[in-house]
Amino acid sequence: MVVKVKNLVKRYKEIIALDHFNMEVDEGEVLGLLGPNGCGKTTAINCILSLLSFDKGEIEVFGKKMSPDAYDIKRQIGLVPQEVSVFGNLTVRENIDYFCGLYIYDKNLRRRFVDEAIEFVDLKDYVKFYPKKLSGGLKRRLNIACGIVHKPKLIFLDEPTVAVDAQSRNFILNGIKQLNEEGSTIIYTTHYLEEAEMLCKRIIIMDNGKDLVSGTKEELKAMITTSEKIIVSFSEIRDETVSEMKKLPHVIDIEKDGDDYMIKFENGFNNLTNLLEFIKEKELTYTKLHSQLPTLNDVFLELTGKELRD
Amino acid sequence: MTVYKYFIKMALRNKWLILSNTLLFFFFAIINTSGHIQEEMSFIETKLNIGIIDNSNSPLSNSLKDYLESKNNIIDVSPEEEIIREQIFLQIVDAVVVIPEEFEEKVVSKEKVIEVYRDDRKAESIQIEHQIEKFLLFANATHEEGKFDLNAIKSALSEKVNVNMIRDGSRGIDKGTNEWFRYYFNFTAYVTIACYISVIGLVMADFNEYNIENRRKISSKRFLRFNKELYLGQLSLAGIITFIFILGSIIIKGKYIREINFNIYLVNTIVFSFSILCLTFLINNITRNKFVTNCLSVVLSLGTSFISGVMVPQQFLGDKVLTLAKFFPTYYFVRINDMQTSSLLGVKNDIFMQLLFGLAFLLVGLYLSKTAQEV
Repeated sequence: MVVKVKNLVKRYKEIIALDHFNMEVDEGEVLGLLGPNGCGKTTAINCILSLLSFDKGEIEVFGKKMSPDAYDIKRQIGLVPQEVSVFGNLTVRENIDYFCGLYIYDKNLRRRFVDEAIEFVDLKDYVKFYPKKLSGGLKRRLNIACGIVHKPKLIFLDEPTVAVDAQSRNFILNGIKQLNEEGSTIIYTTHYLEEAEMLCKRIIIMDNGKDLVSGTKEELKAMITTSEKIIVSFSEIRDETVSEMKKLPHVIDIEKDGDDYMIKFENGFNNLTNLLEFIKEKELTYTKLHSQLPTLNDVFLELTGKELRD
Repeated sequence: MTVYKYFIKMALRNKWLILSNTLLFFFFAIINTSGHIQEEMSFIETKLNIGIIDNSNSPLSNSLKDYLESKNNIIDVSPEEEIIREQIFLQIVDAVVVIPEEFEEKVVSKEKVIEVYRDDRKAESIQIEHQIEKFLLFANATHEEGKFDLNAIKSALSEKVNVNMIRDGSRGIDKGTNEWFRYYFNFTAYVTIACYISVIGLVMADFNEYNIENRRKISSKRFLRFNKELYLGQLSLAGIITFIFILGSIIIKGKYIREINFNIYLVNTIVFSFSILCLTFLINNITRNKFVTNCLSVVLSLGTSFISGVMVPQQFLGDKVLTLAKFFPTYYFVRINDMQTSSLLGVKNDIFMQLLFGLAFLLVGLYLSKTAQEV
């Protein structure tokens, strides 16, 4: 076990930021901390890294109790903070070299690590640039390079793709996959569902400082009653017909949004076939129809009663 | 030594800040001090435009008129007081001398004899009063058996006095040179505070930035080692800046160093630099905001320099201002420079006060730093 957090409680006066939060991370996995803004993801990371004190609970990293002076543990940790945290007065190379120098004292080794980090984030053409001259995406890459340059075994990435264009986002996500393939354990916080689904082997869904559920994305989706959603748009349909449609096998609920009807099914077979037969029988005309498997947002919605992006 | 290396590198990226302050300092030091020396070394008597109203018309009053005429330009003026005052206000005349009717009797009885209207806006108008006093002094001296010896007065007044500026007899130091060094080193107080707080403050604001500080906190670099390198960087930078100012005085007036007590200036400047470095350390632990740091740099450098006697000598400052100035090390730094003593023992109290301030700033700064580090 690389990280073990047990019953962590963190209060800011009357506000409970973390409410008996639990987390376990195995070596070599990519764990996603998924939750809306302000749910306590960054607070949890800061507590694990001893950047914040906490009121109750236990934190172990690499099997040892984490504390501000646990320098042997810190040597193996890398942090990519949410904000781009680099010196405006130093060039790209100087910034990476400075942060590497906080871990690696050997000059030659440091030079090699810095070169490799520059290569990794593909900033070779910008080594002499000052951060203010870089685009948002390039700044994010620099931010990542500064956090991983010393080749840590455990990397915390706190929303590293916020305010980044699609191209840079893909580059960053592929880079994270590569780091994991090279053996790093990754804790990835995000409020982007697609990123968590694409990247993380296991996901912890957080809300109001609590870990609501954890598991693989398949396990999480299996926890909810809705297993399929079919969205169909009718040119004309009477209320009685909608009521009859609700009686079809496995239908849980029907939600109307303009001309679109979202029909939710619980786990079962032939949901689409049954619906198409119903449409034919009632001689209804539809303009569009598509089926959707449940997303993590549906999981979150069912667990909390609100959308993840609320 | 990565932290040390990048501290110096970032500080030197602010070289324009250091250079602009330094160049401005040298510019004003050279310009102002050259003016000081000239003021000390020469005296020029100027001719004033004066009016004379002689109500006595006696031999003595005529003699006085002749004497004043030889020293000034005579302008016709009306005897009416209102017109006299208006002409002075309009700067048509610098002074008007009114000689009373019973002039000779009044001179003998040593009464206040002559009424002088003069332009207070012109400092040199005092000269006319000195000339009259001088004339009356000689007139009284020659008064014998009811008569004034006008020839003797004229002869005494025509004597020329040669004035030579002499060196301070006790130490053999040219007052002008000493004045130059006093002014120069007093002014380093202003530029030292401005440079230290702005340059070191700006770099430290970067190092203390919340997220960058967090990156340092989660690193395996020990806090003590990190701080050691930072403090060494600050000390080196402060040393470089102070060295430039000391070197400047040697380059500009190096040949006079043996004539003054340069060691006292040197020790005083180093001690003062230490106390300001400690003040900078305290400020860096109070604020991480670059704007606030810049404001403090301007306010503290200008403010403390003004109230401590860098710009205006301490003897011209009010008691309340000086009382306030005593709460800053600049006051004691300027006091030592103004003392112009040859013994370090003579300035030990003021040196001690500066060290005490430095120590107090350092301790409060360390306390704040420790508090900020607590998780």
